[in-house]
Amino acid sequence: MQQPIDGFPAGVAHADVGSAEVSLSVDETLYPLEAFYGAAFTFLDRCYVLLDRPEPSQLRIRLTGKRPSSEPEALRELLGELANELLASAWRQQLAREQRPLVEAVTVRAMEGALGGPSLEELARFEFDDQALEDPLGIAVAWEDKYGKKPEAG
Amino acid sequence: MVELRLNRELYAPAAIEAVAEIYRAYAEIELGDEAGYRLVRVRAASPEREHRVAGELGNHALGLTIRRRGSEP
Repeated sequence: MQQPIDGFPAGVAHADVGSAEVSLSVDETLYPLEAFYGAAFTFLDRCYVLLDRPEPSQLRIRLTGKRPSSEPEALRELLGELANELLASAWRQQLAREQRPLVEAVTVRAMEGALGGPSLEELARFEFDDQALEDPLGIAVAWEDKYGKKPEAG
Repeated sequence: MVELRLNRELYAPAAIEAVAEIYRAYAEIELGDEAGYRLVRVRAASPEREHRVAGELGNHALGLTIRRRGSEP
């Protein structure tokens, strides 16, 4: 028989002591599907995991221990681990999403470097009149100005 | 007989088909359909074996779905 668990909001988490099952329902707007999958994946080695979507914006995960324990405290601990893992997974997903442009930029620069120097054809097409680099503050000094022969005075 | 109801939106149909083929070596597997769900019926020599095969089959289908999406942590 399903019963609520101490410490979890009513209607969200349930435990079935008889069949050693726990289930947790979450709002998909708070926990994206990818985070939900990520959390479920970490329990595959020790639980039988079943996912469902009882309502359009609600996700439900049900865990049954492979070595079932009917102790209510063990079920509560399993449910707590699941809730923590869901939160951690959602956070990892958000960090990955935010850092993606930076990772892509670094990867592109690394790939450009790994491609080696320009070919002869690329050098032939190169416009030497182009500005070598942007210097909006006028800091750069041309090699000729710094080290070139100075006109003799007089 | 144990029946698994796998939500079509959450389990890749190709993963379910592939896994069902694998577990036919361990039990009698029958696939069916219901609105929004793929049904997997498992029959084996004992209820314990049916539950174990059904549980592992569900996990395998989920793992394959997650791998294909690249959602594993």
